Amino acid sequence: MRKYLVLASIVLTTAVVAYVTTYLGALGPLGLDTRYLAKLFLANTYNPAHRELTAMSPEAVTSIVWDFRGIDTLYETVVFYMAIIAALAIYRGVSYSNVRRGSGLSLIVKVVTKLLIPINIAVAVSIAAHGHLTPGGGFQAGAALAVVSVLLAVVYSAHSFVELGVNLSRAVALRSAGLLAIALVVFTPIVISALTGTQAYLMQNYVKVDSAFSFPAHVQSQLISGTLIWFNLAEFLAVSFGFFIIFMLLSLREEVVREWVGKEDEH
Amino acid sequence: MRKYVPVALLVLTAYIVFSGSVSPYDVVLGSLVAAGVSLITSKYVVRDASKAVSLRRFLHLVKYAFYYLTIAEFRAHRMVIGIILSKAMVVNPAIVRVPYRARNEYTIVACANSITNTPGTVVVDIDQEKSQYYVHWIYATGLDRETAYREILEEFEKRLAKVFE
Repeated sequence: MRKYLVLASIVLTTAVVAYVTTYLGALGPLGLDTRYLAKLFLANTYNPAHRELTAMSPEAVTSIVWDFRGIDTLYETVVFYMAIIAALAIYRGVSYSNVRRGSGLSLIVKVVTKLLIPINIAVAVSIAAHGHLTPGGGFQAGAALAVVSVLLAVVYSAHSFVELGVNLSRAVALRSAGLLAIALVVFTPIVISALTGTQAYLMQNYVKVDSAFSFPAHVQSQLISGTLIWFNLAEFLAVSFGFFIIFMLLSLREEVVREWVGKEDEH
Repeated sequence: MRKYVPVALLVLTAYIVFSGSVSPYDVVLGSLVAAGVSLITSKYVVRDASKAVSLRRFLHLVKYAFYYLTIAEFRAHRMVIGIILSKAMVVNPAIVRVPYRARNEYTIVACANSITNTPGTVVVDIDQEKSQYYVHWIYATGLDRETAYREILEEFEKRLAKVFE
């Protein structure tokens, strides 16, 4: 009897909430301005007829993130960069040489993980390289690749980073390479503008009303959407190794970290 | 050189399937990723290159996949569905020791996963020193190691040995 009461109350609640939020308009009128903005984005995200407005990408989210509001994303990337610098500063001087070899998880998990890591890398690159065509992009791809660092730490123990030659300096170098690549794409129009004496804007993707500068939207017949593919690939590198750094630091045992932090306090 | 082939093929297949496209862009980029990843990871994934590229072993793997996905899964499902649908719900659960004879880690893991993925049996732990799995068995027909081996593992191990051992 009791389970029928529970079932009936679930059905009734669902029906009431659905009725109130739709027919009774409990959520209020839908924002018409938002709808107008959405229409604008959809009309221009891939529109070869309006090269001065379009992002030439069928993926509206990437178009918005790296073109229509590209500066915002650039600052988000900077915030992420600063957060990782803060983490590195807190853990400064901590060395992996003191990390003990752990036994990790069972053989079953280790072997399956060993096969999954190459597939994981393929999937991450695909997400990054198709960010301008299908849902995904540099950040999502970076998060997907960073899973490898978690798998290594949890399945094989943090000592596996030492055995594989993955260290913080290399991760920082690769992340910095990603950030430099983003900066290169951001400043390319300005550099070209300075060299040729023509008008161009920071992060400019295609021609504007008063600027002829444009990144190529296609290579052969393949759509690359101007700056979008380069931003996605560079962000992929920066985010994946940014997360690598964080997960490597978090996988250190507390006593190892305390040992180093304590050393500094003594001075 | 041969040891790079299986990982490269695995990565290329994963890339193409995940991307859902065989455009020149994807084939070229997928091949580059496959080459790079196999260069880095092959030494951890492939121990014996001659086994990895053996067509005979690959055909045994296909044969095993067919056997597993049809016969083994059907038998296991039939048994568990029978238990679920029976009014009395007769079960005889136990965790039993199942000794394995395999030496190759891929055989050991493939057998363990085959046992886990068939309804009614789950590998809950593995003891590599004693070469045995601990298996939760929903309807244990015997608790001794030989019965458990014969009922749960023998068929999988015999077939998978032809692929990996």
